Amino acid sequence: MDWQALRLSLLLASLTVVILVPIAIFSGRRLALSKRKSLPIIEAMIALPLVLPPTVLGFYLLSAFGRSSPLGQIWQSVFGHTLAFSFEGLLLASIIVNIPFAVQPIQRGFEAVPQELREAAACSGMSPLMSLWKIELPLAWPAVLTGAVLTFAHTLGEFGVVLMVGGAIPGETKTIAISIYDKVQSFNSSSAAQMSAVLLAVSITTITLTFLMSRKIGRRLS
Amino acid sequence: MTLSVRLKADLPIALDLSFEVKAGEMLALVGPSGSGKSTVLRSIAGLFHPAQSEVTANGASWSGLPTHQRRVGMVFQSYALFPHLTTLGNISIALKETGEARTIEARRLLKLVGLSDVANRLPAELSGGQQQRVAIARALARKPDVLLLDEPFSAVDRPTREILYKEIEALRSELSMPVILVTHDMDEAQRLADRMAVIDKGRLVCQGSLAEVALDPRAMRVLGLRETGAVLTARVKAQETDGLTRLEHPAGVLFVPQIREEIGTEVKLRLLAHDVMLASQRPSEISALNVIEGTVLSITPGDGPGAMVRLDAGGEILLARITRRSVAALGLNEGSKCFAVLKSLAIARDRVHR
Amino acid sequence: MKPLAPAFLGIALWTMPYAAMAEAPLIAAASVLKFALEDIAQVYQDETDQDLRIVYGSSGNFAAQIREGAPFDLFLAADEDFILSLAKDGLTRDEGVIYASGRLVMLTPKDGKLAPSEDLSTLQAALENGTIGRFAIASPVHAPYGMRAKEVLEHVGLWDRIEAHLVFGENVSQATQFAVSGSTDGGIVAYALALAPEIKSQSDYALIPADWHAPLNQRMALLADASAEAQAIFEYLQGDVAKEIFASYGFGLPEVK
Repeated sequence: MDWQALRLSLLLASLTVVILVPIAIFSGRRLALSKRKSLPIIEAMIALPLVLPPTVLGFYLLSAFGRSSPLGQIWQSVFGHTLAFSFEGLLLASIIVNIPFAVQPIQRGFEAVPQELREAAACSGMSPLMSLWKIELPLAWPAVLTGAVLTFAHTLGEFGVVLMVGGAIPGETKTIAISIYDKVQSFNSSSAAQMSAVLLAVSITTITLTFLMSRKIGRRLS
Repeated sequence: MTLSVRLKADLPIALDLSFEVKAGEMLALVGPSGSGKSTVLRSIAGLFHPAQSEVTANGASWSGLPTHQRRVGMVFQSYALFPHLTTLGNISIALKETGEARTIEARRLLKLVGLSDVANRLPAELSGGQQQRVAIARALARKPDVLLLDEPFSAVDRPTREILYKEIEALRSELSMPVILVTHDMDEAQRLADRMAVIDKGRLVCQGSLAEVALDPRAMRVLGLRETGAVLTARVKAQETDGLTRLEHPAGVLFVPQIREEIGTEVKLRLLAHDVMLASQRPSEISALNVIEGTVLSITPGDGPGAMVRLDAGGEILLARITRRSVAALGLNEGSKCFAVLKSLAIARDRVHR
Repeated sequence: MKPLAPAFLGIALWTMPYAAMAEAPLIAAASVLKFALEDIAQVYQDETDQDLRIVYGSSGNFAAQIREGAPFDLFLAADEDFILSLAKDGLTRDEGVIYASGRLVMLTPKDGKLAPSEDLSTLQAALENGTIGRFAIASPVHAPYGMRAKEVLEHVGLWDRIEAHLVFGENVSQATQFAVSGSTDGGIVAYALALAPEIKSQSDYALIPADWHAPLNQRMALLADASAEAQAIFEYLQGDVAKEIFASYGFGLPEVK
């Protein structure tokens, strides 16, 4: 059982959720209210990580912050090590790759809030921010939770991108998914089976708890 | 506290109008669907931004101000109550006060609309009429400079509507600000409002007192001939024993189905033109109880078989719509004396009020 | 929500200390070394109390990652070319040293229909009879053992006919896994892996003549900014204890210079 890899995966998934979800709330809401003609294009760009093979994503990410890229070089000069093959690089990649998993459900959640309620909120003296906090979020929160859970679960399972951008460095970028792959390659099936079971249990628990919670509070609302 | 509105736009809906509403006055904005009534309200609230918009409320210009900075109270057609907040919560959230003062004020408004005993219910647990009252209380919680009512009673059944009308009338003392009521129901407009403005295709066709508008031919064209009618003022004389009330009018005696008003009260009656018959002699042996003397002021033939006859009945205008054939047969001309005949039962209760 | 908040906080605190591991030297090792290097690392850790972080993979992959700035301290390749190329570009301290040389075997699963043969005659027969299914080698593009396997097959004139049946492992360890798993009829893989107990128990092998392919001189080098701890293990890998372990896994040893 590779505890270090498990810890790393949980940390990566948690940080991704914590950073990405607030961003997704603001952008999801913006998109839900947008009347721009370019909206379909923006939505398509957001959905890209869903359809691109992980290797393509990994390739582009590596070009974006590998050693020879502007971003990579700035990072190197500030922190003394590369952005790729580091936990921070992995976190950045994870945030980018999970954008559709977070933004899409949240956007749908905000779209489901009747526009009249926002108007009523404005007429009742609430600024857009207040309206988001007091009216829209309390109504759209199951969607936010869905986005968070999907992001968490997806990050735990992410393999292709992690391998390309992370390099499977123990303690730094060797997530549990990679560790399982490694164990299989080392003919250590029992260890691989053990870790797979843990991952499965964590995923099922997270998702079930979330759905239970959302039903409970959903009932309270209606 | 006067509200002054001037709007101009081309897209997506054509608008070109201006009007004023005084403090404590209720203006009914009537017109066919698509005429732009809701758009006018939304423009005043700041939810819609026409190309040119000058809205001044209580001396302050609202142009450029976002909705939440305008002290506007709006009651939506579908109430738009916040589903996750209780009745009390819906009202409280619009209040500026905090802490103890907030609860006290919220409860006061709740009492005002008669919902004290459902304070902790969620909107989904309330009836249509109750939800409407919460919406009104919430709008008032804002201490608005302008109160806007967007067809607030259209989703409610008739009996509930009656109750709500009475509530609004009772609330009038609380409503010291200008109020605009958008409706497509002429009777409702007449019942609740002080003045009326008729809107068609984004333009004001006419505005004025109810009686003035009721007679205006331009309004007639917009609202349709079926809605055309006149308003007569009469005084309650007696409550008869057979379920009728006797009214006195300079042009004659009127009987209407019983209305609960005190003797001596002045009431207004809305008489639809197509309910009014004309006779060149006072008719007898006829079931209709209401016969009024009048003098023909003008006769306007329509495109079809009808003609609109304007009469002077005891100093007030009365409209009668009859066939052109009858006009000829009765020999009616300007200045002719004639009698207007109305069935008591044709004067529905909701067309008689103070 | 109540019980979850402390649970999340607990997990958060538990995951934090990962950073403490960052000091141990990071070693990129060709996958053929999987068992041998683990044994050596175990002994080293017992002796010096120094933790090591080892990542196994194909040499070509590591070379590419190092060019992208991967923070390895030491690179043990499965041949010389990748190291020399990196040295030329100044990414390693120097050209490093040859630490072992490898051999190829034909490997088949124990209860499979193909038996191993030194001269690949059984393989040839299976090809001619049309009884061959799938056959595994490492990637001939970025895994040295894969490149040599291809040379061997070309040497006996089987490459053109067998190419369509080949299954490529990302590295020689994966190829070995394919060869043993039963989903292939076998493969040409590393001798060192065939000797590992986990593999030996499930397969049979035959050693392929060394002059049928270019030598597998395995070179290792310290990277440009390697730490002192990395230097230490670099030295250790050239010492007697390490050499004995390499030898036990069938690696040839470099002559004393």
